[in-house]
Amino acid sequence: MKAGNGGLLLLAVVLVVGSVLIGSRREGAEFAGSDGQAMEAVAAIQPDYRPWFGFIWEPPPEIASGLFALQAALGAGGLGYYLGFKRGQARGRRNRADAGD
Amino acid sequence: MHITEGFLPPLHAAAWTAVSLPFVVASAWRINRLMRDQPQIKLLLAASGAFAFVISALKLPSVTGSCSHATGTGLGAILFGPSVMALLGTIVLAFQALLLAHGGITTLGANVFSMAIVGPWVAYGLLRGARWLNAPLAASVFLAAMLGDLATYTATAGQLALAFPDPASGWVGSFIKFVGVFAPTQLPLAVVEGLLTVAIVNFLREYSGDELQILKFPSQTVAVEARS
Repeated sequence: MKAGNGGLLLLAVVLVVGSVLIGSRREGAEFAGSDGQAMEAVAAIQPDYRPWFGFIWEPPPEIASGLFALQAALGAGGLGYYLGFKRGQARGRRNRADAGD
Repeated sequence: MHITEGFLPPLHAAAWTAVSLPFVVASAWRINRLMRDQPQIKLLLAASGAFAFVISALKLPSVTGSCSHATGTGLGAILFGPSVMALLGTIVLAFQALLLAHGGITTLGANVFSMAIVGPWVAYGLLRGARWLNAPLAASVFLAAMLGDLATYTATAGQLALAFPDPASGWVGSFIKFVGVFAPTQLPLAVVEGLLTVAIVNFLREYSGDELQILKFPSQTVAVEARS
């Protein structure tokens, strides 16, 4: 099962790295967000539409990247805590069983 | 799939908020009850929320030379049922709308509907369907997470098409246009989300048998039988 997971993660990494390589060979590839492209499509369909509500607060770009990192860190931290906790728990169970408790 | 702040006309924004609200309220009620009746699964529930948090923070590149992000809501949906994800997804989207200028408050209802309601329900339905057909668990989980991700983006395309019908080809033409914007970018990312979700489920089946049993999710004993 562990080898299987290694393969799955490797495949995911290959897909992402491969996407960058293939994607950056395309003309004008800027890796713009597809959300933004959809909003451009809105402007193309209805050029006179104006957003009627703006962001309450917009972080400066550097702060925004930090906040994105914070979101990822909170998620990865929480997930990692759980995975580590369960592995440790399983090891503890095994050790106790080996000790004949 | 984040519709940017102000990019849905007021009537649409209000309508999607009204549609999503009961799901989120039901979700809060359901999570509350889960935590009270089965406190042992609290940690796994938090981990599922954390998975959605990290996955939706990462903007991944795609072969199209654009980037987008996966949703991460399939995992929690197949473990706990789709209703719990409405609240967890709302938390993620609210965080992004308030702190990252990503999505928006006026479009929160619409974004919650696509990412925290449609995606999870599609993932859950597919998993149940695939299990009913006796498909291998890993393949079922992969398909559920991947197509749940794509369903979220299809829902967003539908919401935008309803709000902005093409002057010539109407809602259908507009829908096709928006799907055309999202689909090529999202397809490889959905595959990545499927792979990661299977990896986590594999781990859970090995180490979290007790929790999976409470949730009546097939754990390792079944896997061993299936492999032999």
